[in-house]
Amino acid sequence: MKDLATRNLDNMTPSEFEAYLPELFENGGGKISEDPRFVNFFHSNPNCAALVRDLETIAEQARSLFEPTEEPSDNVWSNIANKLKDEPRVEE
Amino acid sequence: MQTKPNPGFFKRNPPIAGEAEAIEAAKNGDPEAFSRLYALHKRRVYTLCLRMLGNVSEAEDMTQEAFLHLYRKLGSFRGESAFSTWLHRLTVNLVLMHLRKKGLQLVSLEETINPSEEDAPKRDFGSRDNMLTGSVDRVTLERAVASLPPGYRMVFVLHDVEGFEHNEIASMLECSTGNSKSQLHKARLKLRELLRQPQDLPPVAGLTEVSR
Repeated sequence: MKDLATRNLDNMTPSEFEAYLPELFENGGGKISEDPRFVNFFHSNPNCAALVRDLETIAEQARSLFEPTEEPSDNVWSNIANKLKDEPRVEE
Repeated sequence: MQTKPNPGFFKRNPPIAGEAEAIEAAKNGDPEAFSRLYALHKRRVYTLCLRMLGNVSEAEDMTQEAFLHLYRKLGSFRGESAFSTWLHRLTVNLVLMHLRKKGLQLVSLEETINPSEEDAPKRDFGSRDNMLTGSVDRVTLERAVASLPPGYRMVFVLHDVEGFEHNEIASMLECSTGNSKSQLHKARLKLRELLRQPQDLPPVAGLTEVSR
């Protein structure tokens, strides 16, 4: 696969673009949908533009899952507290 | 001796008020301080276990194991990363060890890289039929994540939800960073497919929405 830096991005095929996507998402440092290098490509390939927007939405929304909504039952702490009574601290 | 922390580690996990004092007191054997650490972190640890295991009972067992392990290992925490990042890494490793002990090949390279044909994202991902029709709400995304094949789910949760880097994930899952990146991309593509038909997503065991 050619390096993106030396690639003519305007005449890529959708499958070529897809092959670059994992690295682009990892190393893009910003939104691919707003990257000026892809303006012409996205204009010619609206399905690819939609794909990128959707994947960006999914990745952004995933961050909202970091804040938990669930809580373990009270039994979990009871069990921990019981076990700690007999547990010697192992310092490392 | 405390090591000076790297500020970059705290972007996602800013220190919690009272946490540093509780850590130091717990290191010195203060049971109340350890109880405070549990109260501060139980929800995140439990939710992480639940997402990785998809089972309430196992998630509670692993939450218990994670905090018992924390108690034994707390003395080795030097503050080089955010405490929650350190605790979550400890938890992930315990869950992975648990899965390996169960003999499930959930995190083996082959299973992770090559889910069944049915589970893999379809190749026509650029077509209009696969587009999301609107915004994605948290509950729907949670259900879609739970429906992912185990290998995809693991990498997605660790990277996009927990914020681990690919090199850390590769180390935990014993695969290459390239595989981790590829898995994440396939996981997002699969989620896009699943989110197009949210009415078909099953409820998630242990999540609040189920008991409403």
